[in-house]
Amino acid sequence: MVQGVILGVLTAGVYALMASGQTLIFGIMRVVNMAQGAMVILGAYLSYQLFTSFGVDPFLAIPATTAVMFTVGVAVQLIFLRPLHQDDRTQLSVLVTFAVALLLEGVMSVLWSTSDRSINTGYVNASWTVLGYQISLVRLWAFLLSLVALGLLHVLLRRTRFGRAVRASVQNPESARLLGVDADRIAAIGFGLGAATAAAAGSVYGLLYPFNSGSHYDLISQLLSIVVLGGLGSIGGAVVGSLVISVSTAVVASAFSPIWAPMTFFVVLLSVLLIRPRGLFGTAARGAL
Amino acid sequence: MVDPILTLRSVVAGYGAGDILKGVDLDVRPATVTCLIGPNGAGKSTVLRCVSGLLRPSRGSVVFRDEMIDRLSPRQRLDRGIVHVPQERSLFPAMTVWDNLLMGGYTIRDRKRLRERVEHVAEAFPVCVRRARDDAGSLSGGEQKQVELARTLVLDPSLVLLDEPSIGLDPRSRQQVFGSIRGLADRGVAVLLVEQNARSGLAASDVGAVLETGVVRLVDSGASLLANPEVARLYLGGLTRTTTGET
Repeated sequence: MVQGVILGVLTAGVYALMASGQTLIFGIMRVVNMAQGAMVILGAYLSYQLFTSFGVDPFLAIPATTAVMFTVGVAVQLIFLRPLHQDDRTQLSVLVTFAVALLLEGVMSVLWSTSDRSINTGYVNASWTVLGYQISLVRLWAFLLSLVALGLLHVLLRRTRFGRAVRASVQNPESARLLGVDADRIAAIGFGLGAATAAAAGSVYGLLYPFNSGSHYDLISQLLSIVVLGGLGSIGGAVVGSLVISVSTAVVASAFSPIWAPMTFFVVLLSVLLIRPRGLFGTAARGAL
Repeated sequence: MVDPILTLRSVVAGYGAGDILKGVDLDVRPATVTCLIGPNGAGKSTVLRCVSGLLRPSRGSVVFRDEMIDRLSPRQRLDRGIVHVPQERSLFPAMTVWDNLLMGGYTIRDRKRLRERVEHVAEAFPVCVRRARDDAGSLSGGEQKQVELARTLVLDPSLVLLDEPSIGLDPRSRQQVFGSIRGLADRGVAVLLVEQNARSGLAASDVGAVLETGVVRLVDSGASLLANPEVARLYLGGLTRTTTGET
């Protein structure tokens, strides 16, 4: 049981990082980004390529992959999402970003084939034993990286001029515009940031799990579960949602059977939504990120 | 008489199929409060949106300080000193009062200057200091309006557009808000005010204008409009009243 909790907490960091980008994008633009999973997998492939071609450690590759994915995110927003009409944006975004996910899947299939890949560094199986419990070093570093990335995101949103503009645009778009905020620019950068967090998470995901171009289907269902559980548009909610789902899944896997673990995701989600339909931290008003 | 800072001539504007404004003429002078009254749907808020750039007129001209601003973006108009406070709550409810004030000076890139401006403005609005760290959404309606007015001053504007500032407020808060609006004019700011509560709006204004079916029908001093039997019959519930409140 304790081993399951440790595993769940460490894994939750990575999921929180992936889901924070998803919820950031929804918070800023009311866009449900079905391509977030595909972006994570693309980040994993970029990290894989840097590792196999140039021997760059996946953790050290993160600045480069996040920069590339930031650019990809901005391009996706400019080309596919900006033309959507404000009134239908949320509904249409589901279709449009799903199309983007299929496009990315196609590109990844062509570039890297559909075979499973994994990033096998020398330390991938290393672990520490603390009080008799195993702590995977990769998962520990991944967890710490996620904490740092989420901390930076928090500082960006809470302490900077850009962050204030993002939060203002989320809460009252017309008022923000009247105060000089360029909503289109904020949306493009916001989508880029969401994609950048996907890249950071993708590097870690590639270390933890084997992946192929179709892996994003499983991932997006889990990410949407986390984001809905935490409350759409709440980054804090995404972190707590990741913890709840990840720990409960790991505990079920270790205490009962791994067969039941994937289903735990959705049992927890449905149970919470029955009691609190807006998710753990969701509000009726436009959110606070 | 001082030259107008804002002039609208034959402004026609609307949304989609029909025109709401059908040739609006209006002057707003510096250091005065001009109150636009009229029935629902007359186009009062649309006038403000044409001035702030949220809506572009299809015909006519909007001149601010001798410059045609019809084709300028809201941001460009903001840079020229035009600040628009829209109807209902315009604050960011899940941000602190202080962050709301900082957003008022979003276009000021110099952090030191921005801090000085916010501190200067906050001095005149005690609620901004007292509740600085509280989320704006936790303030009462009257307090939120005070913060909104304080926020408009961070950019040191020349023209403030206020849409229904007293809506949803209790009488005491309403009185405070109109007092603060007078304070803006006393600082030299021109205020164009749209107000459903015509009596309170006109009482706080130097100039009143009656807008009906997209056209300005009558312009006079606030006091004169309050005493005008026709205006009283149509917009003040049938009773004329002087600015001191006598019927």
